[in-house]
Amino acid sequence: MTTHTLLQLALRSAAVGYVALLILFPLVAIAHQSFVGGIDHFIQDISTPQASSALILTLESAFITTVINAIFGTLSAIVLVRYEFPGRWFLNALVDLPFAIPTLVTGLMIAAIYGPTTILGTWLQQGGVSVLYDKPGIVLAMLFVTMPFTIRSLQPVLMELERDQEEAAFSLGASPWTTFWKVTVPSVLPGLLTGVFLTFVRALGEFGSIVIVAGNIPMKTQVASVYVYGEIESYNPQGATSVSVFILLISFLVLVLLERLTRPPGERMPPWLRWPKRPLSMIRPSEIG
Amino acid sequence: MGASSLFALLLAWIIFSGSVLAGETRELTLAGYSVPKEAYERTIIPAFQRQWKQRTGQEVRVRSSYGASGAQARAIIGGFDADVAVLSLEGDLDQITKAGLITHDWRTGPHKGMVSASVVALGVRKGNPKGIKGWEDLARPGVEVLYPNPKTSGGAMWDVVAIYGAGLKLAEQQAGAGKKPSPESAEAFATSLLKRIQKNVKVMDKSGRESVTTFERGVGDVIVTYENELLPRIKSHRPYELIVPQETVWIENPAALIDKHVDRHHVRDIAEAFVAFLHSEEAQAAFTELGFRPIGQAAGQPSAGAALPLPTKLFTIADLGGWETISTKLFGPRGAWTSTVEDLARGK
Repeated sequence: MTTHTLLQLALRSAAVGYVALLILFPLVAIAHQSFVGGIDHFIQDISTPQASSALILTLESAFITTVINAIFGTLSAIVLVRYEFPGRWFLNALVDLPFAIPTLVTGLMIAAIYGPTTILGTWLQQGGVSVLYDKPGIVLAMLFVTMPFTIRSLQPVLMELERDQEEAAFSLGASPWTTFWKVTVPSVLPGLLTGVFLTFVRALGEFGSIVIVAGNIPMKTQVASVYVYGEIESYNPQGATSVSVFILLISFLVLVLLERLTRPPGERMPPWLRWPKRPLSMIRPSEIG
Repeated sequence: MGASSLFALLLAWIIFSGSVLAGETRELTLAGYSVPKEAYERTIIPAFQRQWKQRTGQEVRVRSSYGASGAQARAIIGGFDADVAVLSLEGDLDQITKAGLITHDWRTGPHKGMVSASVVALGVRKGNPKGIKGWEDLARPGVEVLYPNPKTSGGAMWDVVAIYGAGLKLAEQQAGAGKKPSPESAEAFATSLLKRIQKNVKVMDKSGRESVTTFERGVGDVIVTYENELLPRIKSHRPYELIVPQETVWIENPAALIDKHVDRHHVRDIAEAFVAFLHSEEAQAAFTELGFRPIGQAAGQPSAGAALPLPTKLFTIADLGGWETISTKLFGPRGAWTSTVEDLARGK
């Protein structure tokens, strides 16, 4: 063996070891714990009325969050990359802040804005709109903690995207909409998908801020992570891990799907994950206005 | 750092470790739930240290940690080697016993191992704008109620027990003087009271403390919580008022030494003395200062400085059949509270 291959081997095992030690082993441990009682027990645990409605509420809220974040995140990323305006640097610096703030504090911040004694809170209450301690509060908390994902995954691809491709389409007569849809979107799609999927997965697991801003009433405003916390606190670790593992399974499937959607066709992957070879999409002449 | 200060540090270290070796400074680890923290840190621990020094000439260093009662119990089971546990629920000590760490019967001590007491009470906004007097008022439409989630908070278990037990008492009252309602009809009434109040619950926080924070943020008209959570706050001029319903539950919080740990640390003597000290007049006065009731008040022993009148229809956990019975009856998979939240969510 040459030193070169030795070095490669060392690096590879370091990477595998790192991921295994930090993520894989704990995952196996918790999965093992939830399946100790058998698959029937697992299904029973996740289908109790309180567990299943917490799971449904979580998936629902995470989905809404993802859609909102995809739309406004994309717009924000385009604005931050393409347009020069005073204070852009400041806005850009602000984007990452949700990652740095402890999520419990995030919850306190949201409660401080929408609380019943604040101006906004009073106004909303008069209008009969309940944000805090209700479902909109959950989505708001999820949005806050996942805000950077779409923006930060889109920014680099948008910057790399050559303006001249769009300009070429434009000068060939494509409408701005067609240009956006047929040139801009496909080029930034991997970045967008990464942002969207990460948003969804991160929203599923959010706890700290939601426990403060949601009402936490079982089967009404209680999300899965808060349910899990309650089961741990009331000495039901089995019920808690089952629901956690269910959320983990969904997250894992979503991330595998992301891997499949964003990897280039040439990547060495198991057959079921591989793309069929296909030509790059082209603008059809009929679409050029 | 100069050579001389380094030398001084070294000298201090030698003297310090020497005193440890000579058995003059000993260590006791305390795991407590968060509510009485101030009483322990400010009064009880220093007083105990003085007493122990007087009696034995030894210094005791007490290392204490405070947190949610259930979380502390789980930490101890998981390896936190505390010598003494002061928790809010008997059930949490039972879990430690079940794990084999407490091997003696902690309930045989004075007051059955209980060291502090309180009652479940109501907090309302200043001037009581909604005119809350008793439990039925919490069930009125348009009244917003706060209490934490019994799944995460021992305090909330006491709250729900208070409502359910009050329902049983109110059923007796409704049946008329001298007549006793059948157990089934009393239970049905208690469940319906619980359901009508739960319907008005707006937020269920993780803990009693958080519930108070939410209440102070302006949410809700009534908060159901420990009397001792409300008293010190009202004393420090927070804008709310305390209402003690006539039908409410007597709360007691246990303490016990953890056999496996005290034996390993060779501190059984200190731990026993500490638990005994918690029953002393001095420690009880510190609890009372913080808004607790003197232990044993319910048993009819008049204690010095007991300024808080006892509610006329006070009941205890034992009156309801003990924790084991009541927690299955209320919080089990088919329990009254469990089915109440499920029914309410389904619009029943």
